[in-house]
Amino acid sequence: MNVEISDLTRRFGRHQAVAEVSLQAGPGVLGLLGPNGAGKTTLLRMMATVIPPTTGHLRLLGRDPGAYGPRREVRRRLGYLPQNLGYYPGFTVAEFVEYFALLKEMPAARVPAAVATAVERVDLSGKARAKLRTLSGGMLRRVGIAQAIVNEPELLLLDEPTAGLDPEQRVHFRTLLRELGQRATVVVSTHLVEDVGAACSQVALMDQGKIVFVGTPGELTARGTEHGTGDAPLERGYTAVLAAARA
Amino acid sequence: MNGPPDDVDLSRVWISVAAQVWRRQPGWLERTAGRLLRSPGLARALLTTPSLLLPWLLTSIVVLAAGAAATTGSGQPVVALLAPAMAAAAIAYSYGPGMDPAWELSCSMAVSDRMVLLVRALAVFAVNAVLGLAASVASVVSVSGPGGGAAAAVTFGWLIPMTAVCAFALAVATVARSASAGAAAGVGAWLITVLCGQVASGHFSAAVSDTVLFLPYLAIGAGCAAVAVYATRIPRGTL
Repeated sequence: MNVEISDLTRRFGRHQAVAEVSLQAGPGVLGLLGPNGAGKTTLLRMMATVIPPTTGHLRLLGRDPGAYGPRREVRRRLGYLPQNLGYYPGFTVAEFVEYFALLKEMPAARVPAAVATAVERVDLSGKARAKLRTLSGGMLRRVGIAQAIVNEPELLLLDEPTAGLDPEQRVHFRTLLRELGQRATVVVSTHLVEDVGAACSQVALMDQGKIVFVGTPGELTARGTEHGTGDAPLERGYTAVLAAARA
Repeated sequence: MNGPPDDVDLSRVWISVAAQVWRRQPGWLERTAGRLLRSPGLARALLTTPSLLLPWLLTSIVVLAAGAAATTGSGQPVVALLAPAMAAAAIAYSYGPGMDPAWELSCSMAVSDRMVLLVRALAVFAVNAVLGLAASVASVVSVSGPGGGAAAAVTFGWLIPMTAVCAFALAVATVARSASAGAAAGVGAWLITVLCGQVASGHFSAAVSDTVLFLPYLAIGAGCAAVAVYATRIPRGTL
């Protein structure tokens, strides 16, 4: 298993953002669903080693990220797209992706080809030498995805990756997700259930800091056949599980 | 017009071409820093903020001038004494989600964001020390009287100890593998130095005014930089 989480809790002051979450994930695409404030981003930030858990155990790629050496090893093999991608406006697309490839300690000789591949995969070849300040929100999101996949990560964490993408790009991105999930563990946090239905092999649903459902998209759909509300089958499963968890 | 042969993978060809076209050639300074730090990523991070260069140089000149004036006017190296602690505080507050737009992303990188910060600080102080030394030589040569030594006093009494403190913090951070430990060690070491100076000579300013200490400061700075370089070396064959 590339992700092994047991009883993971994260508090910010008195607020408990993630409460005793346990989860395991191997290669494939895991969709992390849930309403706003459910704890998805906090869980993803802990998995990205940005913040440590308050309590609980976390193992990533078979290593304990709590220790410096293993954490560095994990980070070399990690791709992370934060919810709010900060960027340096004066960088070009290629420079930005190259910068983070170097910070991931990729061998310098491999970086140019890796940058070209990543930029090509997010369909930004025509903008490779454009300054980031000139790009639209959707293009910036794709730049963020490019830096996340530049090192061909074994663990890829994407927080709201399709926010701002146009429909054509979302379809393209889902295809990319499925490709990446064939050899890596991809965790996608989203509140768009159609993304999960189209690209994810597993889905975990969070509410109020806890995981209230883990299964396949088909299993989530089945939960909504009688009691759920929504336009699509997966939406009905989503609402049914949330309603049951809150009851 | 004939198409490409069947055994040619156009996609691979395009990637190879794009890699060469988009490739950024690091300048000599970045290549040198990369060799010194044994990390191309750290070198890139060190030199990746060219927009800050001019403000930094202007600020350095203003601070050097203010330091020289304060030292000459009051006869007390107040600025020199406070500078290392102020520098540590400024570094602490110049880092974080409010200052670095890519902070969140940087926190998930193999090259530690705090190490980048420490190396940047050390580079700034070291360059400032070199500038101060040049100013000292110029002032001694061109200005006669008490003002002639002001720049030298500022350089030796302020920048060189500050560089040594920062180099020590960097060395501790690399050996302990904790930037927080390094920062605490740097500030702690400076406090101890100041207090020991007072105990030994009876006045607070000994740490920055006693000329006997300047050579040890330089030696500590060089030694700690060597320790940091050694600790961050990348074993042969891994790149």
